[in-house]
Amino acid sequence: MLEIFDYEFMQRAFIAGLLIATLASISGTFIVLKRYSLMSETLAHSALVGVAVGLVAGYNPLWVAVIVAVLSSWLIEYLRSSFSLYSDAILSIILSGSLALAVIIVSLGGAFNNSLFSYLFGSILSVSSEDLVTIMLFGSLALGLLLIFSKELFFICYDEEVAKTSGIKVKFLNFLLVTVVAIIIALSIRVVGSLLIGALMVIPTAAALQFRVGFKNTMLISLVFALFSVIFGMTTSYYYSLPSGATIVLSVIALFIISLVINKK
Amino acid sequence: MQLEFKIPIFDVKNLSFIVRENTILSNISLEIFHGEYIAIIGPNGGGKTTLIRMLLGLEKPTSGEVRLFGKKMKNFKEWHKIGFVPQRASLVDENFPATVEDIVKMGRVAKRGIFAGFSKEDAEVVEDAMAKMDIIHLKDKMIGTLSGGQRQRTMIARALASSPEILILDEPNTGVDMVSQQRFYKLLSKLNKEENITIVFITHDIGVIADDITRLFTINQQAAICNNPKETLSCEDMSALYGIDAHLISNHKHDCSGESGC
Repeated sequence: MLEIFDYEFMQRAFIAGLLIATLASISGTFIVLKRYSLMSETLAHSALVGVAVGLVAGYNPLWVAVIVAVLSSWLIEYLRSSFSLYSDAILSIILSGSLALAVIIVSLGGAFNNSLFSYLFGSILSVSSEDLVTIMLFGSLALGLLLIFSKELFFICYDEEVAKTSGIKVKFLNFLLVTVVAIIIALSIRVVGSLLIGALMVIPTAAALQFRVGFKNTMLISLVFALFSVIFGMTTSYYYSLPSGATIVLSVIALFIISLVINKK
Repeated sequence: MQLEFKIPIFDVKNLSFIVRENTILSNISLEIFHGEYIAIIGPNGGGKTTLIRMLLGLEKPTSGEVRLFGKKMKNFKEWHKIGFVPQRASLVDENFPATVEDIVKMGRVAKRGIFAGFSKEDAEVVEDAMAKMDIIHLKDKMIGTLSGGQRQRTMIARALASSPEILILDEPNTGVDMVSQQRFYKLLSKLNKEENITIVFITHDIGVIADDITRLFTINQQAAICNNPKETLSCEDMSALYGIDAHLISNHKHDCSGESGC
């Protein structure tokens, strides 16, 4: 078809990108409706601590990122549900704390190089076969959990207390959701980069919400927007040698603006 | 009373709730039986909502106990038997991406197994709940586009979709116009009489519902239970009930307009 698919690394990057678009947009629908948008940014920075540890210690950065992001998501959810703290303040503390920690680890380990840059902004050149297997493995687990509990999660997004009084295990499902989101974010930083993954999670849903349609359709529109942005962004990234995370995010922002304009009341 | 031989839906014993040395509720004991239609009144800040939240397990009492259908709160699992419509029901997020049908279907979520999809029975119950609340024609409308009264009926339909034995409503008329309110009380009364659903609700409109209710609870830190609500609505009683805080009585003067001694 297109010459860009002649390269094996582009095939890998596209498969990884489309998987991540699916995961980010579906989990993003719940994240936006639960007013957890800042959570995705915070977890992305926590994942960076994992990347730093991985780079310095010589482990697969993606695996360590998944572990650190999940632990961080549990810490956030625990602090949020057990102490009377403002949740955006908690997120802000963990976000900056993680970034500081990541920078110190990387500096001490002398790993401040191009490899780190690719984890910050995403790079289509860097998706290895091992990365792709990791993304597929954890990605299908994350997607499976989201789909199994989608009705319960939707109810919780609508009204957490009423969901609780209906017998839904709200605390468990909140932990499950943040865990799944942490995994998705850690997996995404290869392609989109930790500084930009929050956007791929939040903006497709924010754009889809402008169409004022029911839950399923909102999720579908969000998915289509995310897939389109990844395809368009990666292609642009390939032809103009730009970081893929940045081109993907600008594509999705363009879709958001279009959605905003055509749905103006 | 013959009802006393049955296990109450709610059995509240010596319930107290104290937050940072402020007593919100003190030593409340009451029972709610199947088939009752109970109104809860009392001044703002008197602890009505806190009581409801403790009945539903949303707040833990400082001391005392709530039993549901004869079971201790921590052992109670059949939450679908209880339908709850919170105070903010008609004040939903306008941008929330849900149709009326999406919302009513939520009522079935906790009832079905995790891996089960919506069954034909679920669809019928949802349809039936919407029919009872007269919102079938709105089922594809977005919740944010509805009027206060329509939203309120949607929330009750959601609660009904779990086939509850009791409906608990916290000031359900917040943000709803007068005409809708009248219609709403008729619906509640019908659910109580025809569907045999026990109803408990917090309100300020005691005058409007006095004819239908079976008992009246007045909550102002402590509880007073009136088995004959019509008698209770005299001005002297109202003053006594709200009398713990004289400042609040004056806010409720309009409840007994035209009568002396208020």
